[in-house]
Amino acid sequence: MKIKISRQNIYLISVSIFLLIFVLIFSFLVLIPEGKGYRENRTEFMKNSKELRKYQDFYDKKQAQLKDLQKKHRAVIVAFDNKFNAKRFQKQYKQNFSSLELSELKKKSKKDEFTTYEVNTSSQISSPKSFYNFLEAVNKSDWIIQVNFPINFKRDGELIKSSFTMQVLSNTRDENKTKKVEKKSTH
Amino acid sequence: MKYSYIAPRTKTVFTPEVKLMLTFFSITIFMLLSTYAFLLFKEYTFLSDLKSIQKSQSQLQTDLSKMKDDIVFIQKENDLAKSIQTKNLVLKDSITNLFDLVPQRITLSQAKLDTNSLVLYGITPNKDIYNFMLGAPLRSIFHRTYSSFYPVGNGWLRFVSTNYTDDDLPTLEGEADNEN
Repeated sequence: MKIKISRQNIYLISVSIFLLIFVLIFSFLVLIPEGKGYRENRTEFMKNSKELRKYQDFYDKKQAQLKDLQKKHRAVIVAFDNKFNAKRFQKQYKQNFSSLELSELKKKSKKDEFTTYEVNTSSQISSPKSFYNFLEAVNKSDWIIQVNFPINFKRDGELIKSSFTMQVLSNTRDENKTKKVEKKSTH
Repeated sequence: MKYSYIAPRTKTVFTPEVKLMLTFFSITIFMLLSTYAFLLFKEYTFLSDLKSIQKSQSQLQTDLSKMKDDIVFIQKENDLAKSIQTKNLVLKDSITNLFDLVPQRITLSQAKLDTNSLVLYGITPNKDIYNFMLGAPLRSIFHRTYSSFYPVGNGWLRFVSTNYTDDDLPTLEGEADNEN
């Protein structure tokens, strides 16, 4: 039995087979591996997005905590950042003393991010109560001040001559950072 | 001479079967290529998004570490400020207690307060009043107490009371060392 296929049909079948093979090869060698890669990338992307969200949540939490702390302890932060101003100090506390004189501010020590300056004061008070009031008021001052020994009270007629040492603490953390950055930029 | 009454058909490769087959394969190949293009585009966007995620993540890590340092620093500042405020109030109470300790009959002319010592200068009507009313409480507070008396013209006595405590009271520097 002889099957008679026209030449046109042979062309048709050949082209169809060629295209079919092309489709199959393209699908198996290109499209399917690409699809696998897509799925892997998507999984990794989702994983990273989830991780980023976690980081973001933690960051937001810490930022809220930092803002809360900054708000709560604003006075302390500002006091540590303030540079001691003898004239302003005298102006603020002159009502507690009949006279108040401050020596020059001397750098005493530096621990971590804090520098301690020392200033000696000599003053005249009408009664010890003025000194008590000063000690209470100094806790609310614009600087972090610790009144320290030696403290000396000496009767001088109706008044009491007093002398004491004050330690002023200042934050030098930002200065250190700036210095480090400056050093790096010069090298 | 004509052999047919109809006009001859022009022969073409694009027979209806070929057209059908080509249409089918065109659609198939178009779909495959568009899927491939979609996958390539998505791969590109995933990679660029991943890069930006990693960048944001490292930025967040840097910011977080800075923020943690800031939080620790603020807490440190606050603790230090509180400790200084407490010391000032304790100092105030100590001085108040010292002056409250001095009885009406004894007059102080000078008081020198130091970390571990207290020196008082003043006048007292007699030694007994000093010993009972000022010397005794001073001896109960300090570890070592020395008193010396000098007569004043009107029969009263000028005294110098030197008092020492052996405890090393913490100083600001000492406390900072301990904290470290």
